[in-house]
Amino acid sequence: MIESIISSIGIGGFAGSMIALLIKIAIVFGVVMLHVAYATYFERKVIGHIQMRLGPMTVGPHGILQPVADGIKSFFKEDVIPSGADKAIFKLAPVVSVFAALGCLAVVPFFDGFVLANINIGLLYIFAMSSLSAYGIVMAGWSSNSKYSFLGGLRSTAQVISYEVALGLSLVGVMILSESLNLTEIVNAQQKYWHGMFIIPQFLGAFVFMIAAFAETNRAPFDLPEAESELVAGFFVEYSGMRFALFYMAEYIGMLVMSSISVLCFMGGWTLPPFILEVFPSLAAVPGLVWFLFKIYFHVFVYYWIRSTLPRFRYDHLMSLGWKVLIPLALINIVITALVKYYC
Amino acid sequence: MGVKKIIKTVFMLEILKGMSLTFRALFRRPVTRQYPKHKREPFAGFRGLHALTRRPDGDAVCVGCGLCAAICPSQCIKIYTSEGADHKKVVDRYEIEVLRCLYCGLCVEACPFKAVVMTDIYEYSSFTRQELYMTKDKLLANWDRFSEKRKKTYFGSFWKPLFTDFSGSDKQAKLQDVSKAKKHEDIYLEAGK
Repeated sequence: MIESIISSIGIGGFAGSMIALLIKIAIVFGVVMLHVAYATYFERKVIGHIQMRLGPMTVGPHGILQPVADGIKSFFKEDVIPSGADKAIFKLAPVVSVFAALGCLAVVPFFDGFVLANINIGLLYIFAMSSLSAYGIVMAGWSSNSKYSFLGGLRSTAQVISYEVALGLSLVGVMILSESLNLTEIVNAQQKYWHGMFIIPQFLGAFVFMIAAFAETNRAPFDLPEAESELVAGFFVEYSGMRFALFYMAEYIGMLVMSSISVLCFMGGWTLPPFILEVFPSLAAVPGLVWFLFKIYFHVFVYYWIRSTLPRFRYDHLMSLGWKVLIPLALINIVITALVKYYC
Repeated sequence: MGVKKIIKTVFMLEILKGMSLTFRALFRRPVTRQYPKHKREPFAGFRGLHALTRRPDGDAVCVGCGLCAAICPSQCIKIYTSEGADHKKVVDRYEIEVLRCLYCGLCVEACPFKAVVMTDIYEYSSFTRQELYMTKDKLLANWDRFSEKRKKTYFGSFWKPLFTDFSGSDKQAKLQDVSKAKKHEDIYLEAGK
């Protein structure tokens, strides 16, 4: 759509496609930043109401301008760097986190045809980028010169290493069924089945993915790297002002990315299952983006819901759950999927 | 491990139960009171900021007997009196250091003339200590802020003086027994009507 507008102005060829890409990047970046701002508001409201509180109420009607106030506040806050810190790494760490989180967005198709980079190894690329975000956490933990952040960083390393495996293995079933790593093709492959969602044949994979995604994004009940009650704030104890906000952004973008992978790989992305469309044909007129966002925000809500329900895992339980339960389950899922795919 | 327990573990029934509980809590009415916008009315008999009651002519009822200052456990009441015309006792200064007060209400109980009372005013924070050092004028002003309706319930049900009768040597400063206290209350309630 953007390409056709640009070419109609008269800029064609490589320059035209680059300008179109830049405009797309600006759109995605802006929307995602807005999402991050209001995801914090949404979280505070959801958790507030679950605890029978009201959440933010004072800034604007029902506190609707709270994210703006938070943004302005964190932007103008003093940037404290501890005296014993490794300054270069300390400054680099939040950038790495945000870079890794934003990088994932390049391959996420938001609706049919709207994707920044339609590469054939999209899923693999997302694994690579989301693993990189662990570096940001480890660097923050190491460079802060504080035992709390150091412990947080160590925990994060161990957690990410053990859950990365389960995360990767849980999606192998999807790759086998769709015979592709391109996220657009994975969504299209789901349309060929009557169910239109891989969550039905891949319920085991979806389950493992869900839990591994919680651990991957350091969200409760696997928020051990930042464990408020034990490590104060974990790896970003020493951060303040805008650098702290960058870590926060990375966390919420990470949640968005994990939700969107879950939506694309298991819930049919921007499409609706064919059996629903047969019953309500008029729903086909609704733009795909609406369904995509609806599914994403359902996932985001589940993140908050789980956070307000479950207490934090003990560290050894977390490890044994990852290695002894999730990885075997994911392997069983791969074997069954492969056998079914081969013989049926 | 029984079948029941296996089903419980595999389908995570306990976690689902917890999640259904939190989901139901999401739609329950929040208990938050939005304080500066919605103020809670204090309960009857609330012990808040002190006040000196006024006589019909506008001056304080206080006669300067000093019982309140004597009974005050934190010794924050200071009374200075002098001899006026016709050998009458004149209360020159009546001061309460509110920051030291512990709001026990003993001064109110000790007062035989319902001269010192505790109002339902509870918002009186300040940046200086001086503003919270209550002089006689400030205490009289507090009395004007105390609503009429509140005054009635306050004296009707919550003002129970320790001493009432100061006439005669054998009756002087006698601790009032329970039946008498009730009687006094009734008298005041009737007067209020």
